[in-house]
Amino acid sequence: MTLTKHIEMRGVGKAYRFFSLQDISFELEPGQVMGFVGPNGAGKSTTIRLAMGLIAADVGEIRVLGCPMPEAQAFAKRDVGYVSADMRLIPGATLGWHMNLAASIYPSWDAAYAATLIRRFNLRAEQLARSLSHGEHIKAALLLALARRPRLLILDEPTTGLDPVARHELLTEFMDVLRDDSRSILFSSHNTVDVERISDRITFLDRGRIVASSDKEEFLERWRRIEVQLPQGGTLPELPHIVGRASDGHFHTLTTNQFSDELVGRLGNTVRNVQRMTLEEIFVANVMYHREARQ
Amino acid sequence: MSVVTRKLVMKELYVNRWMIGSAGVGAALAAAVAPLGKTAFNVGALTWLTVVIAYGAMLAIHGVMNERKEQSLQFVLSLPISIGDYVRAKLLGLFLCFLVLWTIAVTAAIAMVLIAPDVPDGLLPFTLALSLYMLTNFAVLLCGALYARSEGLVTAVIVITNMAISIFMFTVGAMPEIQDHLHSPTPVWNRTIFNVFIVELIVLVIALALPLATAARRRDFL
Repeated sequence: MTLTKHIEMRGVGKAYRFFSLQDISFELEPGQVMGFVGPNGAGKSTTIRLAMGLIAADVGEIRVLGCPMPEAQAFAKRDVGYVSADMRLIPGATLGWHMNLAASIYPSWDAAYAATLIRRFNLRAEQLARSLSHGEHIKAALLLALARRPRLLILDEPTTGLDPVARHELLTEFMDVLRDDSRSILFSSHNTVDVERISDRITFLDRGRIVASSDKEEFLERWRRIEVQLPQGGTLPELPHIVGRASDGHFHTLTTNQFSDELVGRLGNTVRNVQRMTLEEIFVANVMYHREARQ
Repeated sequence: MSVVTRKLVMKELYVNRWMIGSAGVGAALAAAVAPLGKTAFNVGALTWLTVVIAYGAMLAIHGVMNERKEQSLQFVLSLPISIGDYVRAKLLGLFLCFLVLWTIAVTAAIAMVLIAPDVPDGLLPFTLALSLYMLTNFAVLLCGALYARSEGLVTAVIVITNMAISIFMFTVGAMPEIQDHLHSPTPVWNRTIFNVFIVELIVLVIALALPLATAARRRDFL
């Protein structure tokens, strides 16, 4: 039996006056956590809003939980929890009112879990939404999304502007969601530490395009920084899959996106050090490489 | 109408409950003050008009413009509804909010005209025409606010609809078939006043239907 993909985008494009999203294609499988990483203005929020049906694509096809978007958004969103960093609850209503609203709309509302989250996040049901701080607002929105037990969570920069403790609390809750392997998360952030912690698949976006998409482990395994010291008069051999290089006299630092023992073998005893790269370093190197390639 | 749309209609009544209550009290008090003398009548009538106009503008600002500006629109649109459902709920919810205040204000005004001995009953047809005009005016304002995306455009719609009330009073109130009967001891229901009602009702229906044909069909709402 083929499981319905939680998100499918094929050749999606959306043009604005000063920005365009081009040829966005990716899939999110049930049980997967996809981290959407990109600098500010990369198109993460636009892609997420397209997935939520809040805006419509100019070209391409979008399906969420098997439903075409935005046409079937009312149906699809019954099983989607959406939280965005700039989302605000209704200012004149209390958190308790929002919880009652969610409970009356979603049959899957878990009141006991909501009560646990309200304590864990140190919120109060009688608080008016307009009196919540930014962090409390995010936590309240997450509480409303999580207690519905949706099959798909779409989170647009949820940890932006939160203190480390609040970030830790939220990430722990996300990990909890994933104990049920029929649920999935699309998580956007420019904080690669958060993404690295919870994602098992990562997509890098830059200037409206996907520049790379792969399993997290694959990224971490494939990317390496190789430090080389050449002898007097020596030159670097032609090497494949080198996406970045920096030189300082005889010292060269090469960045590869297809690391292999063969590559090191071709450099021979000039290799001084081979370093694993963090996701942030991979992200920056990836973006810079694609920007240069496009120019 | 879906459960979520119904909940969103009720949400408008809930979040605007204090505004409805205070505006209702304000309009009823203004109508109660009007029969106490000539100056009181002018002050009362002006206050009554101001309360109803300001309340309509506040509803459009809070209910439509601020929801977009303060990003709570994102929360509402994350619920299992379509853009069309949202526009229907907003239109119905805010119109109901206005209708509650309007009913209180109009009932108070009619009672004032019919009960107060010094206020001629001949004022009743014009009072009703003006009241219906204010309801229509709010529907036009709501239609504009749901269609416009910029704050400036919504403000322009508010200013224009407010000015239109003065224009209505000066033009319709100056029609001989209406003006000549304003001080009559009994209300005069002639063809002119019915024509005014008919035009108002037609505009009202168009203003309420237009967002369903325009804003509700938008594919981009944020």
